Parts: sequence; structure tokens; C-alpha cells
Amino acid sequence: MKLRDPLARLSHLLPSKGRAALTVLTSSDRPGEAFEDAWRGNVKRRVIVVVSLLALWAAAIEARFVNLQVVQHKFLLNEAENRQQRLLLDKAKRGEIVDRNGQILAYSVDTDTIFAVPSEIKKPAETVAALCHAFGDCTPEERADLVTRLSSGKAFAYVRRQIGPEASARIAKLKLEGIGLRTETKRFYPKKELASHVLGFVNLDNVGLGGVESAYNKYITGLDGRSLVQVDAKGRTVQSRMQQPSTPGGTVELTIDQYVQHIAERELLAGVEKFNAKGGTAIVMDPQTGEILAEASYPNFNPNFPQDVRDDDARRNRAIQDTYEPGSTFKIVTASAAFEEGVFKVDDIIDTNPGQIKLPGRSKPITEAKGHNYGAIPFEDVIVKSSNVGAVKIGLRVGAELMERYISRFGFGQVVGHELYGESRGQLSPLSQLTESSLASMSMGYEVGVTPLQMVTAVSAVANGGTLFQPHVIRAVIQNGVRQAVAPKPIRQAINANTAATVTEIMEQVVVSPHGTGGLAKIDGYQVAGKTGTASKVVDGHYSKTDYNVSFVGFVPSRHPRLAILVVIDTPRNGPAYGGSVAAPIFKNIAEAALRQLGVPRSVNPVPPLLITAPANTISQPLVNAPVEAMVTDASGESLVPNVHGMSAREALRVLGKAGLVTRVSGDGVVMTQSPAAGAPLDRGSVISLQLKRVGTVK
Amino acid sequence: MSSIDVEYAIKKDVRNNPIVREADTRQREDFARTAGAWALIVGMALFAAWQHFEILRNGYQIEKLQHERAQEELLNRRLRLTIETLTSPERIERIAMTELHMVVPPPGSTLVIERMTPAKVDKAIVARAGAMSEIVR
Repeated sequence: MKLRDPLARLSHLLPSKGRAALTVLTSSDRPGEAFEDAWRGNVKRRVIVVVSLLALWAAAIEARFVNLQVVQHKFLLNEAENRQQRLLLDKAKRGEIVDRNGQILAYSVDTDTIFAVPSEIKKPAETVAALCHAFGDCTPEERADLVTRLSSGKAFAYVRRQIGPEASARIAKLKLEGIGLRTETKRFYPKKELASHVLGFVNLDNVGLGGVESAYNKYITGLDGRSLVQVDAKGRTVQSRMQQPSTPGGTVELTIDQYVQHIAERELLAGVEKFNAKGGTAIVMDPQTGEILAEASYPNFNPNFPQDVRDDDARRNRAIQDTYEPGSTFKIVTASAAFEEGVFKVDDIIDTNPGQIKLPGRSKPITEAKGHNYGAIPFEDVIVKSSNVGAVKIGLRVGAELMERYISRFGFGQVVGHELYGESRGQLSPLSQLTESSLASMSMGYEVGVTPLQMVTAVSAVANGGTLFQPHVIRAVIQNGVRQAVAPKPIRQAINANTAATVTEIMEQVVVSPHGTGGLAKIDGYQVAGKTGTASKVVDGHYSKTDYNVSFVGFVPSRHPRLAILVVIDTPRNGPAYGGSVAAPIFKNIAEAALRQLGVPRSVNPVPPLLITAPANTISQPLVNAPVEAMVTDASGESLVPNVHGMSAREALRVLGKAGLVTRVSGDGVVMTQSPAAGAPLDRGSVISLQLKRVGTVK
Repeated sequence: MSSIDVEYAIKKDVRNNPIVREADTRQREDFARTAGAWALIVGMALFAAWQHFEILRNGYQIEKLQHERAQEELLNRRLRLTIETLTSPERIERIAMTELHMVVPPPGSTLVIERMTPAKVDKAIVARAGAMSEIVR
């Protein structure tokens, strides 16, 4: 019956109060349909309320969605992109500067720069102390400056730029609040002072400020790239997409040979120190092309630390920026004009008596050096003995117009290089202002200002048979693997070949003649043509009796010139200041070492020629008029097949291997016979057969 | 007896054991189709999730490798710079002269052997003047 009376069962389970209510409900007058309707209506209302609330809730969410997706779409998209995506600048690396053999002279490497966000730094003094401890070399001034900058409350401040990797690692380890690292490219000059004036330098922002760095800045700089980086909530890079790859700067290949440059700098420095001079310049040029193999100026500087140079004099490229009165070296121009125009012949006699010449408009007569009186001398001796009176007489006979023409033909009074900034045109009086006195001065190298580059270019023209080549330091530019060579550029025919040959012969006598002024430039085994120059410097508007510019310019070997060299020494103080005694020995030292370095064969009493085949195309860009390659070897005969007779097999293998020979050995003991025989021309890579026998057999 | 009692008192004696339920193939097909569709959706969702996380994982990996490559390149550049610094002519000369006690060869102790560029003919004879041997190439 339990099933049939569930109400009774329910009332049994309820407490007494509930039981009473149930009683009410189960009474005979319990509600009928009206009650049910009311109850259903009640439920319905409640359901409607709940559904309405749910609908409102859903509507609110939808409205929020609409607000986010439609109304704030752009703003939120930007915000999301800002947080999730970062646009990174991919800084282009500066191109390299290399010498003619591909040796690196300027190179860029990434370094770290320490920056600060001062507004985030709470204790600047403590931060600076930690930083300086990590740097290890803070000066008190730098420390104080850092405290000031980090206390400024600004959004950004540099702490130290382009630091080394060790210091960078130490700073990163500290994890200082408000201190960060960023990568920057730093320019390095691994050969330090070598060719510093040619290379120039860059500032902290990698902008070229001198030399090739400045002149070719646009080309070397390259183009920055951009990449879009997606980061996660922790700031880690999830994905990066290159929007525009960076284009590295082009490589500039110089005509400079780093070894010849080193030789020129070494000998120039030695000369400057020996003669206690203010400074000096040495230029080595290939007279056949106008390529500058070395361009040294002293004082020089280390381009790695340009800010440390206190003396601006050190940063000045004397070779192209300084003008000086060349003195007697300019007599080459005077003589060339006289020969070319047929005003004089080489055997014409010129009377230089009484060792001085007085000219209208001059208070003092023009005299010979050291008070000499050379008397009546042939034209050649005017140059060989460097007679001022003779040069003046030649110049006056040639005339102002012709002198002016030849001065211009040789490139004086005009910019000849065009590659580096700051090149001087020199100083040249206009023809209309040339008086007889001025013409006389110009004939012996006064009242005309030339740059060392102009002078060596002019003498190169004499050396190569009369063609004036544009001097240049850029041999090629390389971009995206494409090398564009700079071809030698002849400017004009300054003089004809006959004149050049005559002047060359006279210049040879300057060096070899016992009366010549350039005897100290003589090089054993090579014919040298040259000319000395000594010129008083203008000090306080007057020609000084103590300060001189002394110089020597020449080329070697004179009949097949490979090198034209100019040495100018500014104000030598030790000993007599003459071009022949000061500059000529420096010329000799540079030429001798450079000839050996470049493998130029002897031109005087050459050894019997030893001709061997050479591998083809060993030079990527052959020199003009230089079809012959050369190899320097020891005079003791290492270029020949070595003598290994009597050596053990091991010793023989070592010696022959060093000589580049492949050895075949038969027998045992010591070497008895060898083929090819000792002393035969060495052909690297060829096979040599050795026959060995026991020592007992030898005896 | 109230109506409510009647409602609860009725017991329906339904004997459906002998009824054999007929297989509804259409319903089964519908079920299979629906289940398949859901499986496909879930599978696609899982694949999409897997793909997403793989992209993330590979992204991290690529970034790590790119960073390593950049570090190697930087190291390479630094080493090249070191080589160039060490091969400076000034440094080599200093070491040669001060540490190894080498000297500049005195004049006349060296000679230059000229090397002709190879002739175009198949065989060329080269020999030292006055010397005894000939080499035929």
C-alpha cells in the first residue's frame, strides 16, 4: 500500500509543521485548477526572469564583443601588434677596406653598447658603482658624469658605447635595473696606424670622417634592413620575418700595398727621428699606372682612437693637403720645358759665373747653395749639381708663358687625385702676375706651392715616358660579389718620350755622378734616377735660414721604372738640412726594401737570368707594362734544386719537401745520386729521384 | 480515493519481451555520420592545435638557431679581426727582429729570379744561361 499512498508516506517523513501544511493541502478543499494555473504562472514568470537575465547577460557579452571587434577594432589591433610584434632594425655592416692583396685594413664587428633608462633607476650612485666595478677602468670624472646622467630621470641615456665582449658579459651578469645592452657595429683598424691618413676614421655613429672612410662613406655604409618579430607574453621571439634584408656596404680595394706602406712609414719615422724633424711625407707610386702603393705622413694617428688625438697636425694628410715650395726638385719641370721646346740641348753650356745672379725687383741676388760657383757648365750639370743660377737662366730663356704651360701640363696648380677630400690645388701665380723675378724663383722651385702628390705624379710622368696619370688610391670597388676595377687614367701627355728619356738620363747622373747631389740615394744593383730639393720655409713672412723642407724624388729602376718615390722632410734639425743628406737616404731605404718586397730584378750587372716557367694568372690584376712576374730567392741557391748528396732519406725528404719537390726514393742508406742534379733550375712540384746506398758503400 | 491516489495506483503491466526491435539502419547511418562529423571536427581541432603548438615550438627553435648562427658569425668576424691584427706587418717585423733575432738581408744577398709567363706552345725550353741543364715541359 505504500505505493498507493505516497502522500501518507510523505507526511510521515515531514516534521509536524510540514505535516500540518500537507494536511491542509490534502484536505478536501485543496486547490483545483486555479491553484495550478497560479503555480504555473508563477513558474513561468520566474523562468521568464531567468531567461531574460540570461538573455541580457548574453546580450551584454555580445555587445562587449561588438565593442571590442568593431568599435575598438583598430585601436586594439594596434595595441596587439605593439605588444606581440616588434619591428627590428637590421643595421647594415660597413664594408671592408682592403689593400691591393686583399689584406684587411678596416673592418666592422658587432659590439655591445650599454644604455640606461634613468627614470627606472632608483639608486643611481649604487648602479654607477656596480657598472664601474664591471668596467674596471672608470675615471673619477666619468663616474661623476654617469651619476649625473643616471639621476636625470630621462627615458634614455648612453652609459658606454661599443665596449668589449668581456665587459659586456660582466654587465649582463649584474642584471641591473634600468640598465640594458644593445648591439652596435664598431669599426676596427687592425693594422693600427698603418695608412691611417688614407683610411681616415669614423665617429661613434659609423660615419666616415676622413680619408677613404669619408670620401666613400655612402658606398661603404650600405642599407639598413628591417625584420618583423613576433614575441610571446614573456617577450621571447616566436617568429621573425625579414621585411627588407640589410645590404652590407661595398668593399673598397686600395692600390696600397700594406707591406710597402709599412716600409714607407717605418723608414719615414726613422728618418724623422734621426734628423729630429717636425714631420714628413713619403709617397710610393707605380709610375706606369698612377697607383699609389704607399702614402705615409708623419705624425700619424691610430684611427681606432681618433678621439685621443690631441694634435690636429697628426690627422692632417700631408701628402695631399700640405703645399710646400719644392726647391730644386722643380728643376725637372724647368729642364723638361727647355728640352721639349728646343730652347736648350743637353750639351749646351750655361755660364753660372760668378755663382750668383741679380735680377730687377730683388734686393738680394740669387746664389748657389753653399756659396758655390760652378762656372760654365753643361746643361746636364745644372741639374746634376743643382745650380740655382743655371736654372734661373734656363727658366728666363724658356719664358713665362712656356713655363706656365709646362707647370700646368705636369699637373701643378690643379687637383690631380679627386678621390680624397681636402686635396690642395697648390699655389701658382697667374701668368699675368709673373714678373721676371717670380719666373726666376719658379725655375728653381720657389714661389710655387705644390703638394707631395703633385710632385710624385709629375715625376712619374717623366718615368713612364711622358704620360701624366691620375694618381689614385682606389683599385677596385666590390659590391654584391661584383668587382669593378678602376682603370689607370692617363690625363695627358705632359712631355714626349725623347724629352722624358733625356731628363731621365740627367736624373740618373744626379745619383751616380760624383758631383751629383743625390749620391746617398744610390742602390746597389739598381739604376736610380732622382733629384734632390732643399727649400727655405717661409716663417713670419720671410724665408727662414734655419727651417727647410728637404726632399728627394726619383724612380727606380730608372730604365724600366717600377716605383716612383718622393720623400719630403719638414724642418730637419740634426745635421745639415739638404735633400741629398736627409731625404735621399730615406728614399734609398724605402726603395731598396720595396724593390725586394715586390721582387723587382736588379738592373745593374744583373745575374745571369734564370728563367723558369711560372704558373699562369698568379696576379688577379696585372700591372701595366709588367708582363714578367718575379720571385725573390736567396742568393745561396735555394731557387735551384738543392744538393742532398750524403743526406739520410729523412733529411733529404725534408729539404726537398721544403723546396716544393716530390721525391721518389729507391734503396736505403744515404743519398748517392739525385735526378735532376743539384743546381738545376727549380721547378716546384716536379719529381726528383734519389738513389740511396748504405754508408759503408760510400766509404 | 483521491485522484492523486488513482494516479499512483495504476500499474501498467507491459510485457514487451517478445517484441523484437527492428534495426533502424537509417538512424544508425545518421548516428555514424554525426559521430564521424564530430570526430572529424575534433580531429581537425586537435590537428589545428598541434599545428599551432608545432609552429610555436619550431619558431622558438628557429630563433634559437638564428641566434646561434649570429653568434657564430660574430665569433667568426672577431677571429678574422684577431688574425688581421696578429698579421700586422709592424708586429711581425717586431717579433722577427726582437724575439727571433732575424735581420734584414744585406744588399747583394738576395737575387730575383724572373719568371716568364708560360708560353702558349705545347713545349717550351727554359734553361739557365751557361748552365748545364735543360728542362723540357
